[in-house]
Amino acid sequence: MSDCCPGSKTMDFSEKTDQGDSETGKRPSQLRQWPIQLHLVSPQAPYYQEKDVMLVADCVPFALGDFHKDFLKGKSLAIACPKLDSEQEIYVEKIKSLIDDAKINTLTVQIMQVPCCSGLVQVAKAGADKATRKIPLKQVVVGLEGDILSEDWI
Amino acid sequence: MLSDIQSREIKEVIETCPEVGNILEEYGIGCVPCSVGSCYLSDVVGIHNLDPQTEATLMYRIEKAMYPDRDIPEPKVDLTKKVAPKEINYSPAVRNLVEEHVLIKRMLALIPAITDYVDSSDGVDKELIMGCVDFIRGYADKFHHMKEEDILFKYVDELGEIIQVMYKDHDTGRNHVRQAVEGAESGNKAQIREHLFGYKELLTQHIKKEDEILYPWIDRQLTDKQVGELFQKCSAADASVGEELPRRYEKFIIDLEEKFLKEVSK
Repeated sequence: MSDCCPGSKTMDFSEKTDQGDSETGKRPSQLRQWPIQLHLVSPQAPYYQEKDVMLVADCVPFALGDFHKDFLKGKSLAIACPKLDSEQEIYVEKIKSLIDDAKINTLTVQIMQVPCCSGLVQVAKAGADKATRKIPLKQVVVGLEGDILSEDWI
Repeated sequence: MLSDIQSREIKEVIETCPEVGNILEEYGIGCVPCSVGSCYLSDVVGIHNLDPQTEATLMYRIEKAMYPDRDIPEPKVDLTKKVAPKEINYSPAVRNLVEEHVLIKRMLALIPAITDYVDSSDGVDKELIMGCVDFIRGYADKFHHMKEEDILFKYVDELGEIIQVMYKDHDTGRNHVRQAVEGAESGNKAQIREHLFGYKELLTQHIKKEDEILYPWIDRQLTDKQVGELFQKCSAADASVGEELPRRYEKFIIDLEEKFLKEVSK
């Protein structure tokens, strides 16, 4: 693959990354639903009704060590990849339906710092613009090594 | 011990040691002119969300000013570590409140020209003053301040001193407006000037405190769930008065600006 695209550029931070203290014991999953992929989920599902929803780029939970504890806990989830997924117009309609029909409370879009990931924010904004209801929309950008680069209401 | 200062009321601290007021001013913490001053020093500093290095230095300087003979270790500050300026990112409902401040500030900016006009006229243009009072009561107070009092402030400790200061500002503002109305009714130009200017000065500081300190402080405490609830409650409050009300008041300000700013530029 070409090194030109930051989204697919090969990088190795196995030595640089702080591994942290060794952990013992099990950390429980905070996932409270299935399915989670945006093509597969239904806005009519009970776990979306009036909830705070996370729309998360596929790569985020792998980069973010404490994704379950710090972000997923207490939230409902949908995941997608704005670069590789097809038929994203369906995504826009699903976001609209989540806002208008499921009457979700907030939508947090969590993406990686790579440029192609911002497409997921555009999908969320397009769905929110088409919706009749208005809700707060937040963008969280995650660095390649799992740090939070920004967290803003947009 | 630093803790003995932190739990003292700011007015008392500044009265005991005026230098503390100067130090706070240097850090953009304007407690000196506050008429209430009953906030604890720890809350006053905490609400400004300073970075840890700045806060440690500030507290060291305050303690040293109050107790020059005390042996206080200087905080280790890494001057090479630059702290990025914080950009305020309001939650959507709070952002709308900040945007409403803009129209109120446009009214405040017109007050000098309006009072000059009243002073130079033969009689008192009662309709003009009552129009301004209607804007202040209908837009600034009923439409805007009520959303703060009935909705936003419920998300924090309403009995806390910081919120009580905001309530007191609202009440003082209402009193200035009552006095300006009395002046308009009795034809007392000095009374109109005194209280419209009093309102201008009060609200200018009040809005600055809210935009820069109070609103970001409240936002930092809100969960996403609360941000969503707050947004829906404020939207419902806006819907209950209709879209026409803010538009009508914006037109009122535009008309005043056309009249008085043209007068000023002549």
